Amino acid sequence: MFIDFFYTLKDSGVPVSPTAFLTLHRALKTGLIGSLSEFYTAARSILVKSERYFDRYDQVFAHTFAGAELPDLEGLELDEMARGLLEEWLRNPREMADALGIDEEELQRLTPEELLDYFKARLKDQEGEHHGGNRWIGTGGTSPVGHSGYHPGGMRVGGVSRNKSAVKVALDRRYRDYSLSGPLKASMMNEALKRLRHLVPTGPRDQVNVDATIYQTMKNGGEIEIVFDRDLKDRLKVILAIDNGGWSMDPYVQMVQTLFDYARAQFKDLKTFYFHNTVYDALWKDPSRYKQPVRLEELTRYDPATRLVLVGDASMAPYELMAREGSIYIQERSGDPSLRRLQLLAETFDKAVWLNPVPQSRWDYTQTISIIRDIFPMFELSIDGLEDMVTHLMSKTTS
Amino acid sequence: MPENPSVSFTGASRYVLDEELAAIVNISMALEMPLLLKGEPGTGKTMLAHAIAENLGMPLIVLNVKSSMKLVDALYQYDTLTRLNDSRFGDSDRNVSDIEAYIKMGKIGQAFTADRRTVLLIDEIDKADTDFQDDMLDVLDQMEFDIIEIDKTVPTKHRPVIIVTSNAKKDLSDPFLGRCNFHHIAFPDPKMMRKIIQVHFPDIDSALMESAVETFYRLRELEGVEKRPATRELINWIRALRADLDFKPKQLSRGEVPFLGVLFKKSQDYQRASSVVHRRKLF
Repeated sequence: MFIDFFYTLKDSGVPVSPTAFLTLHRALKTGLIGSLSEFYTAARSILVKSERYFDRYDQVFAHTFAGAELPDLEGLELDEMARGLLEEWLRNPREMADALGIDEEELQRLTPEELLDYFKARLKDQEGEHHGGNRWIGTGGTSPVGHSGYHPGGMRVGGVSRNKSAVKVALDRRYRDYSLSGPLKASMMNEALKRLRHLVPTGPRDQVNVDATIYQTMKNGGEIEIVFDRDLKDRLKVILAIDNGGWSMDPYVQMVQTLFDYARAQFKDLKTFYFHNTVYDALWKDPSRYKQPVRLEELTRYDPATRLVLVGDASMAPYELMAREGSIYIQERSGDPSLRRLQLLAETFDKAVWLNPVPQSRWDYTQTISIIRDIFPMFELSIDGLEDMVTHLMSKTTS
Repeated sequence: MPENPSVSFTGASRYVLDEELAAIVNISMALEMPLLLKGEPGTGKTMLAHAIAENLGMPLIVLNVKSSMKLVDALYQYDTLTRLNDSRFGDSDRNVSDIEAYIKMGKIGQAFTADRRTVLLIDEIDKADTDFQDDMLDVLDQMEFDIIEIDKTVPTKHRPVIIVTSNAKKDLSDPFLGRCNFHHIAFPDPKMMRKIIQVHFPDIDSALMESAVETFYRLRELEGVEKRPATRELINWIRALRADLDFKPKQLSRGEVPFLGVLFKKSQDYQRASSVVHRRKLF
C-alpha cells in the first residue's frame, strides 16, 4: 500500500527509509488511523525525520492524494534563480533585455509563467557554458520571492484543491519556512564548534582519580590513598582572520559577527586579525586596518599547532591574488604576490582553513575561490560546513 | 498499547494539545517507539511529557541531558567510592563482596526497572555528544542494557513511553532518527496562544488578553533579535501585567509596553526592543 507515495517522497529528495515505511504499515494495523488526516500526521511523524522536509512532504502528499501539481523539484534551485530573474525583469526590463541580449518587446508579450520557463531555459543553457562574471544572476537567485503579487495576472500556486482537510493542510504548506536553511545563530555555532577543543590538564589537583585511587589503595594493602588529578582545560590556540573590507563582504557581516562573538566567548587563546580580500604583508589587529599591523613574518613564530581560520568570501579580481603588486592599497607593496603569502600561511600552520560565507554551490563561479581552495581547505559558513571544518581541524593527520 | 485502547492521550489540565500532536503521541505509544520532538524553545516540548504523565497517570522520569554526560551515567552508576569506604571501615550493612549492592540505577535504568509503565523524558538530547545518541541506539532497540561490572542484563519490565526533545536546528544522527517518530512543534499561532493563556489564567480579562497577545506577536516579529520571546515569557509577562495595579490594557495599544525585561532576556535584544517601543514604531 502507498508504495507510489513512498517512492514519490524518495524521488523528491525526502530521505525515507524502508524500515520507516514498514513501521507505517505497523501503525496502520493498530487501527488508530481512521481518516486521511490521521494518515497525514502519522505518516509524517514516522517517515519524515526533520522539519526541513515537512514542506516537501506536504507537496508530495497533496500530489499523491489530490493530484496537486508537483513542482519540478530537481530544478528547485533553478526555479528560485529564475524567479529572481523575473523580479529583476519586472523592475528593470530594459537592462535585463540588454544583459540577455534579447528583444524587450518580444519578452513583454509573454505571461509571467512563460517568462519563467524562458528564464529557466536560459539558465540551463548557462550552467554548461558560462562561468563567473554575471553578478545579477548570483544576487538575483538569493532574493526570496513570493509566489504571487508581482504581476496583475497573479501566479498559479499549488494546483487543484479538494475538500479534504488533510490535503488542505498539506496544500497550506505551513512548513515552508523550515525548508530554507535558517540564519546562523550563536547557539547553533555552539553546537558545531563544541568539539573544537584541545583538553590539557591544568590548575590545582582537585579531581579524584577513582581508578588510580583504587589501584594505589590495593597496592598499599587496603590503606586508602586518594589520588588527585588536575582538571582538564581547553588549551586550543586559535587565530581568526576576518575579511572585513569592501562591499563584497557586506551581506555576510551579520553572520561573521555571530561567529566572532561566539569565538571570543569560547576560546581562551584567541587572536583576531583583519584583512581585506586577501593577505599581503600583514594582518591588522584593529578592525579599521590602519594602526596595528602584524607582519606575516611575526606570525610564523607562533606555535605551528595553532589553528588558523580565515574568514572571507575569497572573491576578488584575480590580479589581487596573482600579481606581484596586487594590493588595492598603495601602501601594501611587498614584492610577493598574495598567493605566495597565503601559501606561506598554509605552510606555517598545519591546520589552516578558509571559511567562506558564500554558499558552496556558487564557488565554481568565482575564479579566485578556486585558486584559494587549492591552498586552503575551504568550508562553507553554515552548520554543516562548520562541522566539517571542526572535523578537519581536529583530525590527527595533516592534510 | 494496542491491547488496551482505553489508554490514549487526550490532553491535561495545564496543557493545550492540538489534535495533530495528540494523534502522533498515540501512534508512537501504540508502536512503542520513542517520539522525538523538536521546535523553538517555549513551544511546550518538555511540558508535553509532563502532560502525558499526568493524563495517563504514569510516573514521569526526567533525564536532563548535560554536555559532559555519558550514556552509562544515565543507565547506572557503580559507586566505587562507597564500596571502597565500606571495605576499609566495614561499618555498613552492605555486603562488600556483592557488587550489585553498589549499583545505582540512573534515570533510564529507573524507567526500565520500574514496577509500572513510566513516561521517560530525555530532555535536550542535542546537548550531549553525538556519541550519546549512538550509544543509546542499542538500548532503545533492545530495550535492555548490560551492567558490565556484574555481567548482568537489565531488561525492561514495562516499556516506558519515551519522549526525546531537541532544541537544535541541527539534525540528530540518521540511525537515531530511524528509531524515533518525529514531530516538529511549530510556534503556536495567536488563536492557539489565546487558548494556552486561558488555561493558565482562567479569569483573565479579555481586553488584556487581546492586547497582550497582539503586542506579543508584534514584538516577536522584530528584526535582529537573537532570542525571541516564547510562550513562557508571555505567560510571565501577563502575570507581571496583572500584578501591576496601575496597568490598563489600553496602554498597550497606545504603544506603552511595560516590563520588557520579562520578554527579552538578552541585553542587546532588550535594547533593540525598548528603542523600537520608545519610538512608537510598533503600532
